[in-house]
Amino acid sequence: MPFTAEQFEILAEKTLHFLLIFKKNGKIVAFNNRCEVLFPFKNNQIKGKYITDFIIDDDVQVFKDSVATLNIQNSILSESFSFVTKDNTVLALKFNLTYHNDLIYAAGIDTTEEYKEHRALITLSKLTKTGAWYFNPKNKEMYWSRGCYRIKDLDPNTPMTRKRGASFYPVESRARLESYLDDLIENKEPYEYTEKIITAKGKEKWVKVVAQPVIYKNEVVYVNGTIADVTDRHNYIEKLKYNAETKHLALKGIQSGLFDHLIKKNEVFYSAEFKKMLGLPTDKDYVPEEIFRKMIHPDDLNKALQRHHENLKKEGNHYYNYYRLKNKKGKYRHYEVYGFRRKNEKGETTRMIGNLIDVHQKKMNEQTIIEGKSRLQAIVNNGFSYNVLLNTEGKILMADKKSLKLIKRDSNVDPTQTECHFIDVMPINFKNSFRHTFNEALKGNAVKKEIERINMQGDLQWLETKYTPIFNDDYKINSVLVSFHDISDRKLAEQAVTEAHIKEQELSNLKSNILSNFSHEIRTPLNGIMTISNIILKDNCPKDKKQLLTFLEESKDRLLETMNKLSNFSEIDIIKNNLNYEEVDLNYIVETSFREHKYMADTKKIQFTLELDESSPQAKLDINLFRLALNNIIHNAIKYTKDGKVSLSINSKVSKKNNYIYVKDTGIGIDKKDFDKIFEPLIQGSEGISREYEGTGIGLSLSKRYIEILEGKIKLKSKLGKGTVFTILIPKYI
Amino acid sequence: MNILYVEDNKINAMVMDKMLSKNDSNVIIAENGSKALKVVKNKNLDLILVDINLGLNQMDGCELLQRFRKLDILKNIPVFAVTAYAMPGDKQRFINIGFDNYFSKPVDFDKLLSVISSINPSKIGSN
Repeated sequence: MPFTAEQFEILAEKTLHFLLIFKKNGKIVAFNNRCEVLFPFKNNQIKGKYITDFIIDDDVQVFKDSVATLNIQNSILSESFSFVTKDNTVLALKFNLTYHNDLIYAAGIDTTEEYKEHRALITLSKLTKTGAWYFNPKNKEMYWSRGCYRIKDLDPNTPMTRKRGASFYPVESRARLESYLDDLIENKEPYEYTEKIITAKGKEKWVKVVAQPVIYKNEVVYVNGTIADVTDRHNYIEKLKYNAETKHLALKGIQSGLFDHLIKKNEVFYSAEFKKMLGLPTDKDYVPEEIFRKMIHPDDLNKALQRHHENLKKEGNHYYNYYRLKNKKGKYRHYEVYGFRRKNEKGETTRMIGNLIDVHQKKMNEQTIIEGKSRLQAIVNNGFSYNVLLNTEGKILMADKKSLKLIKRDSNVDPTQTECHFIDVMPINFKNSFRHTFNEALKGNAVKKEIERINMQGDLQWLETKYTPIFNDDYKINSVLVSFHDISDRKLAEQAVTEAHIKEQELSNLKSNILSNFSHEIRTPLNGIMTISNIILKDNCPKDKKQLLTFLEESKDRLLETMNKLSNFSEIDIIKNNLNYEEVDLNYIVETSFREHKYMADTKKIQFTLELDESSPQAKLDINLFRLALNNIIHNAIKYTKDGKVSLSINSKVSKKNNYIYVKDTGIGIDKKDFDKIFEPLIQGSEGISREYEGTGIGLSLSKRYIEILEGKIKLKSKLGKGTVFTILIPKYI
Repeated sequence: MNILYVEDNKINAMVMDKMLSKNDSNVIIAENGSKALKVVKNKNLDLILVDINLGLNQMDGCELLQRFRKLDILKNIPVFAVTAYAMPGDKQRFINIGFDNYFSKPVDFDKLLSVISSINPSKIGSN
């Protein structure tokens, strides 16, 4: 019998259920009195509001998703939502939702108590990265909690089966892990394991799985289990293992072992590897001190014991000793002991932990060095060069006989008797470059320098000096070996080559200039020929003439092609393709150029000076090309200076980008209107080949081109009759 | 369209005149720099073509260009280099000096005419 409307009203008000009617979008249509507690508004203001405005944020999406699935075919659903009430408590309601006539009828019961526990469990599961699962062996149902899905990066709505669950394990471990569950069902014993999984997002994780059977009448009715993400812990343990292995390998690498010495008990614990190395019994954890003493070399034993006892009485906590130990092959090796002592309140050492280090090779090396020193001395004395060994302050430590003789003769000092600085006894013309080069060697670089001097017979002599830093065991420089070598013969040969090279260069310049003029002279009349034939061809003319004109066109095309090929075969391109970039100290290069022109300047009785940059400016360039460019300019400066001076200097402080090299002369100077012209061989070329080649204009134009190829610039300042400054800017290399 | 062509080689000057006149252009020839400088003061020009090598001891095309650039009346007039200097790098050199365009000899007239037509499409049409 159906209710009357009045009866229904009463029932709706008396029931413990929360009754709500709302539209699919959540808009509230009707509700019973009991629902008032859910809404922080007056009764008459609630209609038309949306239910999603009152449920907690976490549940809004759940509400929208579940309501969206409701339709005529699928009209019933149950879902929990939590409301925040007027007095700020949370009310969890479990609703049965029924879809009818485009409206949703909801009947809810208060499940707040269960809900609280449920929430707490969810939070716990989230924080511990744990999930719960169960498996029913009878109907094969597999249930996963949200936590299980979260660990596997899987959508919680994915239906779960045993097979799907196993698919997250790597292929090779699946069969083994599935057998655990089968065994459990058969033997009713719980199990646990830690294994690697690959999540739905392809991430690698480590999980710990625990499974517990639930037994009814001696049969497993279902399996309860948990799964926990232990990736962090797993990685940490792996790292610890790795660290232990690293330490172990490191000790093995330096052939040393750890020990722990309990003084009172007179027991020494050694690491296992070390015991193996020394042939100590490995079955015992410790070795009595007496046994250990027997292994120390008899010659070292007393002194080692004496040091040992002194060490124990010392202030502080450190311990140091050294002796030879017999290894299992019966041979003695050198060891050093570094330890840390722990003391009791009375200040007595009770325990010492430390490291025994095999220093055998080092000791042997030291001995070789001592023996080698006398041999070295012999070699040095009989060599062709002069050798002087300096300490880091520049004082002479050792020198060969020839050098000693020279020093005695020139400075009246015997470095083997009196302490003396090398700079005070060296030949005068070495002094300029010594300080700089020596400092460079102290930085750890082996440096070579070439020096020009007049010898006792009055002949010009070239010496090559080498500064070789010598390192101690800690890779610190403790001395510098300076050696001098007479390279006069080589130098003379080099100069001959350089001169030949300059001649060759001049010839090649001439060649390229002739080519350029030749090209110009061909192209000018060709222009006339081409255009005229073109004009006639386009006019109306008899057929046979037209044929001839076509031949003319063809011949002219061929000539032009040849001309183009010839033009492209230019010197500069060849140079560009054969550059050899090196890092260089500009001081060194400029100094070399300086020396090369010193003779020329001296002959003309011109003062010629050089000023280097203290910071040894670096550049990356093709040395040969740069030298050609620089030498051209220096050559010119000296050539056009009758009297007065030419100075060469480097400055790296003018700009951040470039090193500046100045070639300054007091020569005839250049008229401002000719500034551009002196760099342009082509323009001058039109005024006749002979005049241009006579001058050095061609050299300067090449200097400019070469410097530009090296990404530098040449600047020019000059006053007629006063002199000229050429500035070369070359990019710094840092 | 008034075009000034500075060229010392008579044949080359003549053929240029022939080629450009066919396109309704009026070509004025100046055989050296100083004559060219006189012409620019008396004529309304649309374009100047300059040979670089204008003979021994003569002002060359580059210097002439510098003189032109100082003249207000030529402010908006394009100046092209037309030269037999055609070694690698030459084109760039002349463009760097300030020529608006560069044509090597022998002159490719199709190209020259097409450039001229784009300067002043209303006055000159292509064949």
